[in-house]
Amino acid sequence: MAEKFNPVKVGFAAAILALALPLAVAARAAGCGGADQAALAWLDRMSRSLHQVSYHGVVTLQRGEDMQVMQVSHAVDGENSFEQLTQLTGQGAQVERTDHPLHCVHPGHRLLQLGAELKAGNCGIAEHYRFRVDEGERIAGRKAVRIRIEPRDMYRFGYVMELDRETGLLLKTQTVGRGDKVLEKFQFASLSYEHQPPVAAEVDVVHRARHPNPSVPEHMPGSWSIDWVPTGFTYTDAPESGAGRRTYTDGLAVFSVFLEELGREIRPGEGVVRSGGTTSYTRGMELTGKPVLVTVIGEVPVNTARMVADSVGWER
Amino acid sequence: MSEQMRESLSALMDDEANELEVQRVLSQIDSDEDLRCTWVRYNIARDALSAQHFSLPSADISAGVREAIAVESVPSSGGSLRERLLRPVASLAVAASVAATVVIGGQQIASISGAAPYDGQAVAASASPVGLVNSLGATTVRASYGTRPIPVLQPATRTAYRELARQRMEKYMQEHAEHAALNSPQGLIPFARVPEIRE
Repeated sequence: MAEKFNPVKVGFAAAILALALPLAVAARAAGCGGADQAALAWLDRMSRSLHQVSYHGVVTLQRGEDMQVMQVSHAVDGENSFEQLTQLTGQGAQVERTDHPLHCVHPGHRLLQLGAELKAGNCGIAEHYRFRVDEGERIAGRKAVRIRIEPRDMYRFGYVMELDRETGLLLKTQTVGRGDKVLEKFQFASLSYEHQPPVAAEVDVVHRARHPNPSVPEHMPGSWSIDWVPTGFTYTDAPESGAGRRTYTDGLAVFSVFLEELGREIRPGEGVVRSGGTTSYTRGMELTGKPVLVTVIGEVPVNTARMVADSVGWER
Repeated sequence: MSEQMRESLSALMDDEANELEVQRVLSQIDSDEDLRCTWVRYNIARDALSAQHFSLPSADISAGVREAIAVESVPSSGGSLRERLLRPVASLAVAASVAATVVIGGQQIASISGAAPYDGQAVAASASPVGLVNSLGATTVRASYGTRPIPVLQPATRTAYRELARQRMEKYMQEHAEHAALNSPQGLIPFARVPEIRE
């Protein structure tokens, strides 16, 4: 296996590389290595319609045996949007986000809104997923287009998304794990694009969604670092310095890493629980003499969470 | 590496492999350089750490968990031959690990990472009850991940950690949802995954 250094071979390899490189660049610029342009255009449209279209409806979320029903509404008023989610089953909580400027696009959506970047040869999300566009089914009375999204590596899940043929609104998502197992299913049961406030439901808790800073610094402040995440994942926000959290997205999946410094030693080990498409992975370990608990929570496979947790270290 | 092999490897790492998939990887790992490299890069070496004294973490871990974590320390590497022989079998039953699934033997997984001590943290020299065979020894390992040893957990510790992961999910899910709601295509839906929404 140990191959001796061979200048002839190396020269030959370099020549091949020199020949191949411009070709590869040309191929990328022309079509992003066979990326489905139609699918990317749909994803771009989906991402924009989520913020720019007014709609309301009833949505179901299935995870295993569990099914939740909720009301969602999204209204655009001038330069701002207002959105609300009200649980009709379970806890009966309400989440609302008011006065979200339309021009405020967070990193996850920037990754989907490729537009000009695609023309410039940056394939973005197409480097990490394969896409296929199909005729969709009818969902909540709307004709849909189906996009099958298959991960190119083993660090993320796949998705089957159905978008409204007319507006591009996401009507249904199935999160697909290994062996084509559906881990989670979200879909509209009813949908209307008319301006009309949703019917009031009895609500126990109202939570106003927070608005983290969407601009991300080159370098994360803080005393700890994460040295590895799968390619294509970027920070979602700039956390306050000293925060014990970092969140990453690749445009479709999101995961967060939490670090807790413990006062005393902990027996090293790891634990995992999963709920639908969400993984919670906790690792107790010692980082240069300091006992810590690292938790990775997100819509990624267990192994991804484990590897990310493994790369946590102190900032040098 | 074939798509099927990738699947099997992925299954192993997610602790979801069936007998057939374990066999598939086992039969190939000796001869397939690519597979081996992939494996080494991804694998988290597990090792039974030498005996350590544990005390209670100060974090808000529920009493039950604390109790389970506080049970007496991991047995030391010594012991009679009988003990040493028996341990791998016991470990295999409890370890939720690929390493545990793949090869049982006296080889030390520590040798994989032995070349580079991470963070000055010496990898325990005690014989690993489970691990990959020596064929991996020559392969270089990225120091950045996949190399920190995780001890093979005792059943009580394992249960405690699972409970800890559940508690952390409850604790952090809402904060995660705040970001998922702005950075994934489903709008506010990530909040529906939060076990209990707080104001």
